Amino acid sequence: MSLKHFRPLLRAVHRDAGYLAVGLTIIYAMSGLAVNHIKDWDPNFTEVRQTLQVPIGELQAEPGQSPANDQLARSVLHALNWKEPPRSVYAPTADELDITFENADLHVDLKRRVAVHNGQRDRFLLRSANFLHLNRGKKAWTYVADGYALILLTLAVSGMFMIKGKQGLFGRGALLVLLGASVPVCYILLSRP
Amino acid sequence: MADPYQPHRTLERRQFLRTAAAGTAITALGATWIFADEWTNSAMAAATRADGRPRLPPGQRVIEALKPMGGEQGDPDPASFRLRLHGEVERPIELDFAALRALPHQEHRLDVHCVTGWSAFDVRFRGVSLPELAKLAQVKAQARYVIFEAAHGYTANVPLHEALRPDVLVTWEMNGARLPRSHGAPVRAVNPYLYFWKSPKWLTGLRFQSTDERGYWEVRGYNNHADPWKEERYA
Repeated sequence: MSLKHFRPLLRAVHRDAGYLAVGLTIIYAMSGLAVNHIKDWDPNFTEVRQTLQVPIGELQAEPGQSPANDQLARSVLHALNWKEPPRSVYAPTADELDITFENADLHVDLKRRVAVHNGQRDRFLLRSANFLHLNRGKKAWTYVADGYALILLTLAVSGMFMIKGKQGLFGRGALLVLLGASVPVCYILLSRP
Repeated sequence: MADPYQPHRTLERRQFLRTAAAGTAITALGATWIFADEWTNSAMAAATRADGRPRLPPGQRVIEALKPMGGEQGDPDPASFRLRLHGEVERPIELDFAALRALPHQEHRLDVHCVTGWSAFDVRFRGVSLPELAKLAQVKAQARYVIFEAAHGYTANVPLHEALRPDVLVTWEMNGARLPRSHGAPVRAVNPYLYFWKSPKWLTGLRFQSTDERGYWEVRGYNNHADPWKEERYA
């Protein structure tokens, strides 16, 4: 098959591979921007922290887990007018009670009758994108990510040959390919000690 | 005849003076803001540690508070927390949160250095020292490395002699408050001598080994040792 007949096929492959890559490109780009600047912000959660006075009498917990601690937690939550049921209740020492919720923790100092509320709110879209980008799920996502990498390679290679003439690889295309490839090459040459 | 432009020119002069004063003030404030970081860092870089090294390692800038830096969170529930001490030990042991808290512990003011370029000074951590935990598990003489194990299979490897410093901690408290989830609740490691990825959050175990085993970031192109003063960031 000559290149003349091959080009329409390349353009079709390039077009369809491009459509296929749209969703994943948006996910990877969003997550890439978020994680690149991870030192400036937390791309997964927003944090909440507050100290609350607990209007109860002086109480003591039983270290570990126990029905008595569960009852104590109910009293604390009632005093704080806290509606969400806890996931677990645990006393690391007789003077402390840890109440764990789905997205928050209450650390109660029973002696001082003070509770510290550490909570976090999910940045749902970004956290999901980061989960996929960083392949935290492993397993099947590895195949999806490999497939995406192959689509990108297909796009790059088909993109180089699908246009002929001055706008193609023997004109403007060559210059732009060289320019793009020179960025990582120069970076490595200049940044290596 | 009075010059019709005179009042206008006076206004222009006033306007000019006001604008110039505002511009100078903004420039001065901007410069202060831009260079404040630089001045702080220069002052910090000039300070030295007890071992003679600069307090601020090369390529780092000082920030006020520790940043969480992400990571897939582990189980934050202290009730389900377990710390396994295993590998080359005479006495393998599993500690729950109350048992860990019952061990001798201290508060240390530590400097933290992140591989992304920031350092936080004088962060207060309360916890049990690695020598205390090694003594409890009776680490065998042939052990040379500690593999810090954390949630979702995260690991970080540290030579044993470097991990057994009294201020390398297994900690549950930061700056007087319990660790928040984003900082590894209920328990994380803290090693002030290496870049901070060697201090895993959501810690689950300490595995003592006679051979080295590269950890999560080490097999992904980061330096196996990670000394901030030698800028051992990448492999």
